[in-house]
Amino acid sequence: MLSKYLSLMRLNWGLSLEYRAEGFIWLMTNMFNVIMLLVWLSISRAGPVNGFSSADFVAYYMIGLIVRQLTAAWSSWELSFAISEGRLSPQLLRPIHPIHQEITANWSEKVLRMTLLLPIVAAVLILTPGVSLHVTPASLLTFAVSVAGAWTIYFLADYCVGILAFWTTQATAFSNVLYGLKIVLGGILAPIQMFPPAVQALLEWLPFKYMLAFSSEIALGQASGERLLFGLAVQWAWVLALWLLMQVLWRLGIRSYGAVGA
Amino acid sequence: MAHQIEVDRLSKHYQVHEKEPGLAGSLRAFFARKYRVVKAVEEVSFSIDAGEMVGFLGPNGAGKTTTLKVLSGLLYPTSGRVTVMGFTPHKRQNDYLKQFTLVMGQKQQLMWDLPPMETFLVNQAIYEVPRVDFQAILKELDDLLELGPLLKKQVRKLSLGERMKCELAAALLHRPKVLFLDEPTIGLDVTMQARIREFIAEYNRRHGATVILTSHYMADVTALCDRIIVIDKGRLLYDGNFRALIERVAPYKVLKLQFEQQPDLAALARFGAVARADGLTAVLHVPRAHAAETAASLLAQIEVDDINFEEPAVEDIIRQVFAGKADGLLPEANTALPL
Repeated sequence: MLSKYLSLMRLNWGLSLEYRAEGFIWLMTNMFNVIMLLVWLSISRAGPVNGFSSADFVAYYMIGLIVRQLTAAWSSWELSFAISEGRLSPQLLRPIHPIHQEITANWSEKVLRMTLLLPIVAAVLILTPGVSLHVTPASLLTFAVSVAGAWTIYFLADYCVGILAFWTTQATAFSNVLYGLKIVLGGILAPIQMFPPAVQALLEWLPFKYMLAFSSEIALGQASGERLLFGLAVQWAWVLALWLLMQVLWRLGIRSYGAVGA
Repeated sequence: MAHQIEVDRLSKHYQVHEKEPGLAGSLRAFFARKYRVVKAVEEVSFSIDAGEMVGFLGPNGAGKTTTLKVLSGLLYPTSGRVTVMGFTPHKRQNDYLKQFTLVMGQKQQLMWDLPPMETFLVNQAIYEVPRVDFQAILKELDDLLELGPLLKKQVRKLSLGERMKCELAAALLHRPKVLFLDEPTIGLDVTMQARIREFIAEYNRRHGATVILTSHYMADVTALCDRIIVIDKGRLLYDGNFRALIERVAPYKVLKLQFEQQPDLAALARFGAVARADGLTAVLHVPRAHAAETAASLLAQIEVDDINFEEPAVEDIIRQVFAGKADGLLPEANTALPL
């Protein structure tokens, strides 16, 4: 499996480089993070909002930018078109599940985007006075685990959406809904702490927070001890649930594949 | 002994929805969608032994490609039983996927924006082909198909023929035992068609691979396949030896005649069925068994400028089969099956 992954990575890395300009433009779509940051900065000028100082907002949205980039997924689009145009057929003939092509394509793209993004974020964090990040070996480890979880949750949810195209032919509308939910409930529109307590309590159990905000909270030192463990448990429970859902949907969907064209 | 490929009363039905053209039709289709069941393949049975080369013939929409897709595991059969090398294709076990290939002339597996070699290397890893074997197989394919300079060019910059050669190579790197080829020569010029054809024949000879081939170009099938399976409207019309079919549907040879002066048609008709006669040329259908004697006595009795024997055009024969003029083919064909 390792050598299969390495060769798929190599292939997709080649493709990412082929489309490097496109990758850069996708990065620009994250302007929304910057806009929301500016909004919250102007609100917090008068004083901290729900415990967030201006510097906290900078740290939250900058870390959020990285987490969002690392956890971005778009395989539902690829899968949806591959199904509706019959391009999935060659992939189904190979002795490897098509999801692995999407996973490696996703990772390759990440390498390129991170090389562009990390220096910018680092500069902003260093130049902004009063930014404090919670950096210990343990927090770095939990941050990494939470980002891995966040990536897997969103990737699997997005892939499940793509599988719907087996029945609906096109699934891109659903994938926009999922994306919208991530933006609004995942902590990009506002940090979770800005929501009313009842909503916050609900979000603890839904997957959206664990696609994004949870990792930023860990980096900012806002989640620790029992809260941290609870969060990780819920996050990885969702990983497992979505993995199972994906398996079931795939098995059902593949039966109604039409292999159109040709 | 079991056959390598066994298809037993295979049916595949699709549900398709229909839409009238135009905006009104779209609205109607949106609110009250009409569904219709298309019987792409209906109760088709056949079996194929290892190493055979079989041609699938049939007009567009006959069910040829659907059958190949079921054999490749891309489609679930609606009913019936299909096994290839003991595997049930639609389960898509890796051990099965590693032993066959499906090449579709109108679909590609090569990555559009990268050179073919990149896809080849990925296939090497995915199909777990050892490096030494890979080198040897690639060299053999290179010798047969002259891939050389193509391997490093971006796929989108290759011509259709060049791309098809690379597609074939990509599909054969894991040295499959069974080849499903769906219109592998579509859109290619005559020279390239011949090249691909020779290659397929050579591959079959060298590796004893089983080949099922569909093609619109009769020349592909006549050159490669002793046995053909004729399918129309999802049903099997004929399964058996190609020559036998020709002799049954067209038990005559085509005699082309050229005259110096207008011939007497009534006199000509004594020698065979007059298929065509205009001015100074005529075409006669002469019973195969007596072709030579008939020609000799015709030459003795009628003044002929030029005379020529030809085999009936395969296209015409197949058209007759489709048109149902070859009634009674099916029962006999079934007994001819190597069961």
